[in-house]
Amino acid sequence: MTDPIRLHKELSAIWGTPGRWGRLSSVNHTVLGKRFMVVALTFFAIGGFLSMLIRAQLATPNSAFIGPEIYNQIFTMHGTVMMFLFAIPMFEGFVIYMLPKMLGARDMAFPRLTAYGFWCYLFGGSILIIALLVGAAPDSGWFMYTPLSSRPYTPGINADVWLLGLTFVEISAVTAAIEIFISILKMRAPGMSLARMPLIGWYMLVTSGMMIVGFPPLILGAILLELERAFDLPFFDPTRGGDPLLWQHLFWLFGHPEVYIIFLPAAGALSTIIPVFAQRTILGYRSIIAAIVAMGFLSFGLWVHHMFTVGIPHLALAFFSAASALVAVPTAIQIFAWIGTLASGRPRWDIPMLYVAGFFCVFVIGGLTGVMLAMVPFNTQAHDSYFVVAHLHYVLVGGFVFPMLAGIYHWMPHISGRQSLYRLSVPAFWLIFVGFNLTFFLMHLTGLMGMPRRISTYPSNWGWDWLNLLSSIGGFILTMGFCLVLADLVLQWRFGRRYRRDPWKAQTLEWATATPPAPYNFAALPRVDRRADMLEPAEIGPVLAGGTGYLGFVRDGEQETLGVDMFTGEPEHVIVLPRRTFLPLWTALATASVFLALLFRQYWLVPFGALLTLGMFLLWPRTLGRREDTGPVDIGMGEQVPFDVESKSNASVLANLAALIMNGTLFTSLLFGALFLLVIAPNWDGVAPMSLPLWAGVVAIVLAIAGAALSWLARSRNAAGGEAMPWLIGSAVAMAAATVLLVLLMTLVPDPTGHARNAVVFTLLGYGALHTALGALMSAHGGWRIMQGYVSTRRSTEMTLAWLWCFYAAAASLLSVAMATLLSAAA
Amino acid sequence: MSGVNQRALVLLVAGFTVWSVGFVALYALQALGCAYEWPQHRAILIGADVVSLLPLIWLAMMKPVREGEPATSLSVTALWANRAALASGVLVFLPVTFVSACI
Repeated sequence: MTDPIRLHKELSAIWGTPGRWGRLSSVNHTVLGKRFMVVALTFFAIGGFLSMLIRAQLATPNSAFIGPEIYNQIFTMHGTVMMFLFAIPMFEGFVIYMLPKMLGARDMAFPRLTAYGFWCYLFGGSILIIALLVGAAPDSGWFMYTPLSSRPYTPGINADVWLLGLTFVEISAVTAAIEIFISILKMRAPGMSLARMPLIGWYMLVTSGMMIVGFPPLILGAILLELERAFDLPFFDPTRGGDPLLWQHLFWLFGHPEVYIIFLPAAGALSTIIPVFAQRTILGYRSIIAAIVAMGFLSFGLWVHHMFTVGIPHLALAFFSAASALVAVPTAIQIFAWIGTLASGRPRWDIPMLYVAGFFCVFVIGGLTGVMLAMVPFNTQAHDSYFVVAHLHYVLVGGFVFPMLAGIYHWMPHISGRQSLYRLSVPAFWLIFVGFNLTFFLMHLTGLMGMPRRISTYPSNWGWDWLNLLSSIGGFILTMGFCLVLADLVLQWRFGRRYRRDPWKAQTLEWATATPPAPYNFAALPRVDRRADMLEPAEIGPVLAGGTGYLGFVRDGEQETLGVDMFTGEPEHVIVLPRRTFLPLWTALATASVFLALLFRQYWLVPFGALLTLGMFLLWPRTLGRREDTGPVDIGMGEQVPFDVESKSNASVLANLAALIMNGTLFTSLLFGALFLLVIAPNWDGVAPMSLPLWAGVVAIVLAIAGAALSWLARSRNAAGGEAMPWLIGSAVAMAAATVLLVLLMTLVPDPTGHARNAVVFTLLGYGALHTALGALMSAHGGWRIMQGYVSTRRSTEMTLAWLWCFYAAAASLLSVAMATLLSAAA
Repeated sequence: MSGVNQRALVLLVAGFTVWSVGFVALYALQALGCAYEWPQHRAILIGADVVSLLPLIWLAMMKPVREGEPATSLSVTALWANRAALASGVLVFLPVTFVSACI
């Protein structure tokens, strides 16, 4: 018989975070999720303050309040902060905190990556805010269109702050995407098949998949624009064969799915909250999953609707117009499912439901104006006017902020262990609701009356005066509402009444944990025998807390949780998670040195910073894994499974696959950019063919393919119980030789600053060289792990990883050289 | 049961994956045809449209589970997702048959 108190103390000692400076070593998802949310809300407050300055400036005509230069920085930073530093990190924080609890796991798949992502987010965001305080913030608008953001028109470091600061922040987004994707697929409670997963799991699965393929185009665009600004490689300069439209394509390839990346998690929260307050299970579970999948794909087919007025053929307009209108259908399916759930249930009104109702009003208006803007003729009229500003705020505030506030009121008791006293929350809601609509509904009218976005002032005789004044008054009412919410939350945290388990009578697993939750979430993991939004947490919780379930014990002082079959949810292996460490913090600081060196144009420092970061990453796995084969071990409930290092489909292999898919998307975007410039860009006529030595490219490809083949042989030999080391050494040598040849080819490209063709060829070869070098590193790392004794026939993760990266490097170098050859012949 | 779920998950994303590939292919063919002034541009676009729709039709008519296997929530969802992908394909790709392709 397990002693629950002793078990709790033992698990807390292993999973807990120490006080004082030790807090900085935390890798626990509960701690980091809360940190993400607190920092995101701080940025939200900063973004809100900036919006107050905007509204103060626009409240009256001919205003000289802040002037155009500062105004440009403020509206750029308002959009940037709200989109990149608040909305995405806020949902990341929510998911990092909540997902393992909802799925029945003890943490996310890669706790140190969570911590690294958090530090990158904090440091990158701080760079942007410090730049704002010293008057060097980006000022070209949150979508940074070229050529305005190019060096001749933005000569200071303002645009570099945006490009480098945000790319630094995006590290947290891409690491979170991989982590969320793998955690959902592999770390659910036993018995929770995909078909039993709560809907929020589906929302997050699709969202993380969208992030994996949606963020790389933006990252590539930022890299290319920074290369242009720092080293004069002319990707976007039309006078030298570049094209500003390439930036728009790359930005909106990310930018439109981004809206759905923000909306889907919020919709997931709604699909969880609404059934609780309707007191019935969600209507149309299967239809909603189909709708989420449809939205995930369709949202990528809309990006050109941001470019309807740049001069593109009717057929392209028709494609994107149809797809833009079509995405309203799966959105509507979800909205009708939520309304149906409320209509067929016994709704009880409480504070979260006020915000749900607010969501319905605001988001539906935003959706309808979205369908209007999807129509090309109307879009042409309303383009870049305040109508668009109104639409996007109705969609983003309706689709994210209102659900977020519903979620905060719903889940705050889980975080704080206390319930709100509700003295301030009702007036706070009405101030927000009325203030929001007063501010933004009127912008539809100013937009229809012709007021363009981004202007810092306007004359008094165009009829916009009173609409702008009322908008500004509404904005201040809205801010008062948010201040009341903040006060309400502080009061709840300090004076809220304590409650017993599951105050809302919800039916999902997070309410089976203690509240506030212990750092290990569950003393034992449950077996789920039905759909996981129909459980009884109040009954399950005490049973699990007593240690009845899977892994209801401590083994070797390690952080253990279960890995399951991706499809059925049956236990597959024991995942041993890494303990707390300062390594993520040091690695993030090393990464920061790279970005700061670039920002301050100390380019000689960049290789040192990059090597330091790489060295730090190589330290991460040095104590992970096992030095002996263990075979199946006890997991409780009379079942046995092996450790993750002895499982072929472990989380590390899947995460690397996801990282390669993300990397492949970035590479595909680069290939698209090369083709786009070749086919569309001006000033390509009469460019002299480039004479690169074909033999060097062919030999580099052959060496890269040989390196991949040798890594495959190493993997096969290891699986057959043979010696893998010689093959790995051969693989590393072949990949390194390929790298040398590709770098040699880069040096032979004539003046990469002279024409976009040369710049693209240079970049393509650089991409190939970087990846053959990474292939060499992964093979060498595999050899190092063999020497350390971490590899055996059964423990073969490193062999698989070396093969995956070498295979990718071979494919990338083949395509890089092929595309470079095609472009070399262009004239 | 793992096989049924695995198949259902693949089918769940299959239709819209085909839709995405068709969308990108048609957009690329439209741009290439205009840039290089292909004489049979319209015919190529319509041909690509038909080629894109055929697998979508097949997926939309495909039974989500094999003989003797139990239907799961996921397999039924996959069927509806594929029907939605076909409808999306018909609607979004239709303009290639009549709208002017180049400026």
